[in-house]
Amino acid sequence: MVHPAVIHSNSGWIRQYSGAGPLYSVDFKGGVEMEVQWEGTPPVEPIRTAVSSRLPGVSVVAAHDLTGSNEVLISAELPDEQKSTAVRQMIDQALSTITTRYSIRSFEVIGPQIGEDLRHQAIMAAAGASGGMLLYLSYRFRPAYGVAAVVAMLHDAMITLGFLSLLHQAISLTVLAALLTLIGYSMNDTIVVFDRIRENRRMYGNEPLAAIINRSINQTLSRTVLTSGLTLLTALSLLLFGGQVLYGFSLTLVIGIVVGTFSSIFIASPILLGWEHGHAKWRASRASLPAGGVR
Amino acid sequence: MNRALIRKTLFILAIVLVSTLAILWMPLRLGLDLRGGVSLILRLKIQDASPQQQHEVLEQTRQILERRINAFGLSEAPIQPYGSQGNELLVQFPGVSDSSRIEKLLQRQGVLEWYSVEDGPYTNREEAMAQHGRSVPSNRKLLQTRPRPDGESRWYLVDSQPIIRGADLRDAHVAVDAMEQPVTAFTLTRDAAGRFERYTQANIGQRSAIVLDGEILSVPVIEAAIRDSGQIRGARSSEEAEDLAVNLRSGALPAAIEIVHEMTVESSLGADSIHQGLRAGAAGLAAVVAVMLLYYHWAGANAALALLMNGVLLIALLSCFGAVLTLPGIAGAVLTIGMAVDSNVLIFERIREELRAGKSAGAALAAGFSKAFGTLIDTHVTTVVSCAFLFFFGTPAIKGFAATLVIGLMTNLFTSVFVSRVAFDWELLRQRQRTTLSIGMAR
Repeated sequence: MVHPAVIHSNSGWIRQYSGAGPLYSVDFKGGVEMEVQWEGTPPVEPIRTAVSSRLPGVSVVAAHDLTGSNEVLISAELPDEQKSTAVRQMIDQALSTITTRYSIRSFEVIGPQIGEDLRHQAIMAAAGASGGMLLYLSYRFRPAYGVAAVVAMLHDAMITLGFLSLLHQAISLTVLAALLTLIGYSMNDTIVVFDRIRENRRMYGNEPLAAIINRSINQTLSRTVLTSGLTLLTALSLLLFGGQVLYGFSLTLVIGIVVGTFSSIFIASPILLGWEHGHAKWRASRASLPAGGVR
Repeated sequence: MNRALIRKTLFILAIVLVSTLAILWMPLRLGLDLRGGVSLILRLKIQDASPQQQHEVLEQTRQILERRINAFGLSEAPIQPYGSQGNELLVQFPGVSDSSRIEKLLQRQGVLEWYSVEDGPYTNREEAMAQHGRSVPSNRKLLQTRPRPDGESRWYLVDSQPIIRGADLRDAHVAVDAMEQPVTAFTLTRDAAGRFERYTQANIGQRSAIVLDGEILSVPVIEAAIRDSGQIRGARSSEEAEDLAVNLRSGALPAAIEIVHEMTVESSLGADSIHQGLRAGAAGLAAVVAVMLLYYHWAGANAALALLMNGVLLIALLSCFGAVLTLPGIAGAVLTIGMAVDSNVLIFERIREELRAGKSAGAALAAGFSKAFGTLIDTHVTTVVSCAFLFFFGTPAIKGFAATLVIGLMTNLFTSVFVSRVAFDWELLRQRQRTTLSIGMAR
């Protein structure tokens, strides 16, 4: 039987890898990034043309801010053998051909080496965190719970990355921080359900596991929905009022919280059930006894 | 029971008082992204060095750069080792908006050169020019000595071509000469040694000038032919000889410095970020408290109290640890509101379940708190585990985020379990005649 959740999860993978894959910001690939404030509505297309004529790999994004600020985020690749001050002047000159009514609010240059180190660190942190949680949950619960929780967590990270690619949101350092927060958050959701399953298994040990899991999900459902709703509220307030700099962070959280809530209900528990069923069948076949229901 | 409750309440009040004082006495420092300024990460191009050597090289570079920065009048800019590879330095200049001057200052290599002195000393440039018919010959140049502590310096006319350059030096260290005086001993590369031997052989008794970054450090007289090693005398103390050795060594490094990361933030952007962060925090808090009050009635107020206290404790602890508040930090703190209320929701839902099962208010409270506690421990420990990995492998910004989250989790456990329970106990005590809890459910 293919659970609907599996199909859903696969579509996330497909989305992410059929297209151009996730976009990485200059944080990870190296380059320059400049935040410019305009007095009126920023002319995105002319800016892109002007800067592209001077620098390679230019991307121009207007601010996604509901508070009415007019900001533009300009990023470009770092040309070889160029001093960063020269690059700053180049962009400045390009902008001054359009208008003089702007001000440069921040400027950042990231060397390609730094980006590579960051990618390495991010992978190490994600792998370490997953491994650590797997070990802790295997110790506190059973290995099956740990595996199910970590798979659900990976599912969340993948789907969120897929959505970010769809929305052309580049993966920056702050987006990474948001993703790592989500890992913890999704884990919390899953553990609350698992905790209940464990408790109910002790109390109603003679019922089939599927019934116990169903009961546990129902018992924790109000908590899951309420908590997700409240966390979603704070993430939404960050998205609406947090300004341009936090946009990627907030967007990632809003997507991830919805996905994470879904996975703790529909992904983690089915995996747990599947594992325990498989395990029981395996044990039964080894003992050459007829396979019965999981107790 | 009553006395115990009063003791607990006093304990909570004391903690709130201490936290408030801590916040007032040690306000949070603002990070560069909130204050505005220039931040640079410098990488030394070091190859084939042991960790020990690399560490020394980094420390020397840091000292040299610090001297340069101090000379530049930016003494409050600290230089810290950065990154996991041990070859990077982080320099931050709060309040500076033009990075080009700083970049030049830091990237300028510490160049050591050795010139033959043709004439001098002169007290100033004009005197030197007057002595040579108003112009310096094309194959000569004028160099100034490094100013002494009283500001005095001398000028020398030297050959325009150095005999030895920084790259010719292999090593330099402090030694003691036959007269028990501290000297700076140096060794040359094999190639330079031959050149230097021929030169010193032919110029015994002549003066020479040791020049660092265009400033004459000392003017020793050549006493004998020198091959691959020699000594620089005239240091007034062993520290001075040490400093000279450090200078020479820095010239001896392949001491190119590369700026691998540069960030300039205008202070107006920082001010806007703080403003936006506070607005987002206020909006999030208001929304959460409103929903909690609607859903849980009086128990919602209880949760709001726990939330507020959680915020106060978190800020106080961050202040005590000397944490620097950055924009990701603010985002983390706003997010903590949502995560912190989760503990309350978990407990409240459990209490409601127990009430539904027909328990009395007091019994439902006790059962709700104790049953939810196990779940809370599991969720908190798991998050701490993942934060530990962020802390070990993360960049400083991510480290700060992880630390903030862990501290927030600790304070959260305290406020949601201990403070919230005390508040509930007061409610029960106040309404002893009633056996209900205002937790937003019809009974």
